[in-house]
Amino acid sequence: MKYHLYLVMIVGLIACNTPKKKPVIEEVRLEQSVELDVPNQLSTWDLFEQPLNKLIPKKDILPYELNTPLFTDYALKSRFIKIPDGNPAEYVQEEVMDFPKGTILIKNFYYESDLTLENSSRKLIETRLLIHENDGWNALTYVWNEEQTDAYLEISGATIPVSWVNEQGVAMNVNYSVPNLVQCKSCHELSGKMTPIGPTARQLNKKYDYASGNQNQIDKWKATGMLTSVPPLEEVPKLPAWNDPSTGTTAQRARAWLDINCAHCHRLEGPAKNSGLYLRYSETDEYRLGVNKPPVAAGRGSGGMKYAIVPGHPEQSILIHRMESLDPGVMMPELGRKLVHKEGVELVKRWISEM
Amino acid sequence: MKQQLTLLIITILLWSCSNPSVPEVGSEWKSIEKDLQAQFITAMDSSTIVIPAGHYMFTRPLLLDGKKHLTIKGLGVDKTILSFEMQEEGAEGLKVANAVNITLQDFTIENSKGDNIKVTDTRGLTMKNIKSLWTGEPKETNGAYAFYPVLCKNVLIENCIAIGSSDAGIYVGQSDSVVIRNNESYYNVAGIESENSKWVEIYGNYSHDNTGGILVFDLPGLTQFGHTTRVFDNQVISNNFRNFAPEGNVVATVPPGTGIMLLATRSIEIFGNTIKDNRTLGTAIASYEIVEAMATSEESQLNENIKKSKRDIEYDPFPNDIYIHNNSFSNEHQFPTIENDFGLLFMMKFPFNTPEIVWDGIVSGTDDFNLCIEQEGVHFANLDAANEFEDLSEDMTPYQCVGNFVDPIF
Repeated sequence: MKYHLYLVMIVGLIACNTPKKKPVIEEVRLEQSVELDVPNQLSTWDLFEQPLNKLIPKKDILPYELNTPLFTDYALKSRFIKIPDGNPAEYVQEEVMDFPKGTILIKNFYYESDLTLENSSRKLIETRLLIHENDGWNALTYVWNEEQTDAYLEISGATIPVSWVNEQGVAMNVNYSVPNLVQCKSCHELSGKMTPIGPTARQLNKKYDYASGNQNQIDKWKATGMLTSVPPLEEVPKLPAWNDPSTGTTAQRARAWLDINCAHCHRLEGPAKNSGLYLRYSETDEYRLGVNKPPVAAGRGSGGMKYAIVPGHPEQSILIHRMESLDPGVMMPELGRKLVHKEGVELVKRWISEM
Repeated sequence: MKQQLTLLIITILLWSCSNPSVPEVGSEWKSIEKDLQAQFITAMDSSTIVIPAGHYMFTRPLLLDGKKHLTIKGLGVDKTILSFEMQEEGAEGLKVANAVNITLQDFTIENSKGDNIKVTDTRGLTMKNIKSLWTGEPKETNGAYAFYPVLCKNVLIENCIAIGSSDAGIYVGQSDSVVIRNNESYYNVAGIESENSKWVEIYGNYSHDNTGGILVFDLPGLTQFGHTTRVFDNQVISNNFRNFAPEGNVVATVPPGTGIMLLATRSIEIFGNTIKDNRTLGTAIASYEIVEAMATSEESQLNENIKKSKRDIEYDPFPNDIYIHNNSFSNEHQFPTIENDFGLLFMMKFPFNTPEIVWDGIVSGTDDFNLCIEQEGVHFANLDAANEFEDLSEDMTPYQCVGNFVDPIF
């Protein structure tokens, strides 16, 4: 009899919850066609030697790295900068350098087919350009063709399936998302204007293996006349490398991770200022950092939890919940990832546990 | 025993099946997302983008940034339907940022994973004749806001419909000079909510069957504080829907059966509204302290939180300068909803006679407190919540006065 009742209940519940079928979507074109007055091919920009996919920069284009880069679905990145001759950038202590008009920041996104192998093959996905023009910074993105001979302008964004084997020998898959041109600004925005994020003093303050030898990037930029008003190196701030314990404590490295992954929005001048949660490396107010801070407009992003960070309790912290989520309505950052950055989450969890 | 159990199960079954379900109007979905997004990106200022009639499915948010004097229009509610049911990225359906004088009109937008329409950092925004909803049963996994202007100036929302938001249907946050008029809002947790906004007019709206009908809130730690709001000539009816907001959000503390609720805000005039059949309370005036108390279960934690909320030294957690007059209050229900602390309290303290205007009675102790009520035959309660309800009083005479009229913003 009991079973019978359960059965009635289950049938009843099923009756209320008939699942919907996923519709099949046919793409239709709108009548108005659109064009942008910019080069349609990456090669037109004349940034790299042929063959293009070797990414050998032309003269006066310099590669650079960041101490703690943004996570983008485990994509590898190679960055270059072109600063117009004889027109150096001004050094800035806390924000991105003050780059002259004509500066181009170039970021190539790629995957290695098998990271356990020495001679793995490289697949270039997209090349993003940030160009400093008279009306401010503009972003363009170029998607590489199958043959890897050139990349083509993408206005509306694209989804590209990628597979690779990671350092642990685990096969990985992702539907890599190339942003549309407005999505670029969703992150690259400061006080309503497009801006670079990476090339700050604290991010650039590290050594790089140039063809001419190993040298600190700030020194190199100064020596080549790309950067002026540079203070002595010991006065230049330095961000720890999130994954290198020799560069900082757990707290410092976790804060570095939050700085690059979150603080472009979560700062007073950023698009997430309405949240009141500020995650810059320089933030010192614990409440603003999220400690015992209730959410403002998180909606279901709160996951039923009450505070962004509960010291000692990563499992009760909304911050971690949103970093671990893959639900578009919950996950943070909102854009640029389809996977969880497990190692980054572990680091931030450890920081909260040790609070 | 067995009969009782069967009865219980039948009740549960009836209850689960009698939950309302918002119908899906769209079918035979098509995709225009690449072309439409490209149009949004390349649109010239002062132009109009027309979205043809049809049912369109999106996998990404539609983004508009930095445009001026742009109109985006469909061919009518339920004729042009934009669905984000299959959204794979982005936390909103349509998002407008850093723009000037934007008009959105004449379409249906639904089922975004986050907010259906979010507009941020925009000066001059009109949204009219838009239906924004989540289909199916109203549930916790629905997005937070159907209409969400935040950090905007000069906002008009009119003739819109908001359904099924797990936070607020029409939500205006940290904005300035806002008119919300002649809209309908139902099956949301909050029908209409103004938060940390100033110079706001909420009138002519029909807000019904939400958890709470109209909320005016001021919260700590944000970019600006709210004040100066008129709530008038609205129909605030039967807002008795269960609270399905995810916990942690301030609206999760709103008791089902709430008509109008003011939280820690000032310079407010409430008049000419029909506030009817909201089971728990017609109009509530609350301090941020009581919300904190309700949001936390343990006493010790509570005190700590109140301290934390005061880290924002500019923030005043107490409501003030409130004038309530010439509204029509009625309630056919004898009992409040009981799935919340307020309902339980009213059930015990005022059996068969739920109060219509409720004030938590918590004052700052330093500022003069100004609450004026001009209403005939209304059941009032001052809860004295700060003192464990010890001096709870139903005497309205100390607050019968002519308050400050709030000037219209136009």
